[in-house]
Amino acid sequence: MEDFVEIKPKGKPLKRIYLNLMLWFVGRAIQASAKVDKKVKQEFEDLPKGYNFALGAFPNGPWMVVGKDDDGRVRYLGRNVKDKTIDLWMTLKSVEALFLLFTFQESTPVSNARSRLFVEGDLPHACAVVRIMDIVQVYLLPKFIAKLAIKRYPRWSLKQHIIGRILVNARTLIGY
Amino acid sequence: MYVPDYYEFCCGVKTVAGHGTLERIPALLSDMGAQKPLIITDKGVSGAGLVDTVIASMAEALPTCPVEDDVPPDSDLKVVNRLASVYRKHKCDAIIAVGGGSVLDTAKGVNILVSQGADDLMAFTGANALKQKLNPLIAVPTTAGTGSEVTVAAVIADHEAKKKMLFGSPFLLPDAAVIDPRMTLTLPPHITAATAMDAMAHAVEAYTCLSKNPLSDAHALEAIELIRTHIVNVVRNPDDREGRLALATAATLAGIAFSNSTVGMVHTLGHSVGAVCHVPHGTCMAILLPYGLEYNLHKIEEKTAELLFPMAGSEVYATTPPKERATTAIAAIRKLNQDLFDATDGRHFTCFSQVKDPQGRQSITGPDIETIAATALGDGTIFYNPEDLDFEDCMMVLSAAWDGAPLDRSKIKQG
Ligand SMILES: [Fe+2]
Repeated sequence: MEDFVEIKPKGKPLKRIYLNLMLWFVGRAIQASAKVDKKVKQEFEDLPKGYNFALGAFPNGPWMVVGKDDDGRVRYLGRNVKDKTIDLWMTLKSVEALFLLFTFQESTPVSNARSRLFVEGDLPHACAVVRIMDIVQVYLLPKFIAKLAIKRYPRWSLKQHIIGRILVNARTLIGY
Repeated sequence: MYVPDYYEFCCGVKTVAGHGTLERIPALLSDMGAQKPLIITDKGVSGAGLVDTVIASMAEALPTCPVEDDVPPDSDLKVVNRLASVYRKHKCDAIIAVGGGSVLDTAKGVNILVSQGADDLMAFTGANALKQKLNPLIAVPTTAGTGSEVTVAAVIADHEAKKKMLFGSPFLLPDAAVIDPRMTLTLPPHITAATAMDAMAHAVEAYTCLSKNPLSDAHALEAIELIRTHIVNVVRNPDDREGRLALATAATLAGIAFSNSTVGMVHTLGHSVGAVCHVPHGTCMAILLPYGLEYNLHKIEEKTAELLFPMAGSEVYATTPPKERATTAIAAIRKLNQDLFDATDGRHFTCFSQVKDPQGRQSITGPDIETIAATALGDGTIFYNPEDLDFEDCMMVLSAAWDGAPLDRSKIKQG
């Protein structure tokens, strides 16, 4: 049989590059926060083992997949959704909608409220994942941007803000 | 008025409302090309003689009509499967669902199976899994509150697998909602009060939560005004047919509003109180509604202020200084609850500590509140609430609602 030719969607290459980079970064930051942040750790502990969730754009991505493996470790699992079982899909209805979300012009709840974000999967787990992503965004983003992305900016101690931020960002970059 | 840059609105249910509308059902069915409906209902509804009323109203055109009244309050997959085989055995071609949310959800599940010629509901779960129109389904609501006659969703439990299946599709909308005040005429006053407050909560949350849009707003405002105008009267005079029709209309309006813009924390917490302590949904809504507005006040002050107009009338609105309108609207809801408490001799509850089960025991106890708060964090409606809610926030609101004391606004965490 001839080699399968993958047809890549044309157009918007810059948006796609930006989104791929952001998804990679956020995915690794979730993995890092699960080691650094108590609340994120707790949320992941309450998720079942082998639980995978994906965030991305309909229909051809880009995607990011994060999962909790059988030993309870949280891992960024890359951008391929095809070879995994996904327990929770958080699908933006288009690349544009994902771009709005990741340029922080729109928060997750607003995206959801405007019918641009679709959540498929067990709802209590979906709620937990949204809470995890909110915390991760606080670590990654400067306050004035994070305030646009989440409903309520948390009142953390200065120590948590500074040390947590350094740890999460460093671990995100080195991928540990 | 707030116009979001994108919104969706859909209401595809033909509404037939008024006195004597039950008699119209055979004609509605024949317009849909059906002539052999199966009536699905529950024991409470048939025991109250409501199914007899429906059958008598249709007798001329439809002399025989199979009835299945064995839908338990916690209906599940087994019931759906059983009713589907009854439908097939009688060679029915339509369903008339007479009852509240549980009956209608069951009827929707049956309709999926019989229309798709399927045996396994699981294949149709999730959003938009249905791809074609189902057989005719007519909803006849018997409470004026849930608004389920105009919603696209259905929830069916699978008790064996211990899970709930959620279905969402425009094809699940009934083809027609028949609203006849004869169906709610015999509702006891305290249930009338609680279910109307459920409709009130739908309208108020639709108007103040994140997914609001101008079309659902219009429905919400009209619903609030109708409820405010008629609720106390109907509770005092249960035979008030005009008032009953007004409340039933308000419930449908509010149903259209919230199914297009969803609800927030009043339902987040209310669903959890219902799940953990089996308190009726309307009771939870009446108690929690002022707290929801109070908690979100710093994010929705303007919208809450706008609600004073339908909630208290033009005169009160005009004479209240703009800065006080939001808090006056919240006070108006508390006053309404108190009026209903008085009109029902204390059977309409204004705080959770008053709520007793049929045996007279306290329905909600101290330790329950923690379980309720934890359950609430997993309820999907929490997404649509304007302000974030964590475990402590839920505890704070629930404790205040237990005592019946207003929220201490200085304790509410703001970002
Ligand atoms: Fe409700």
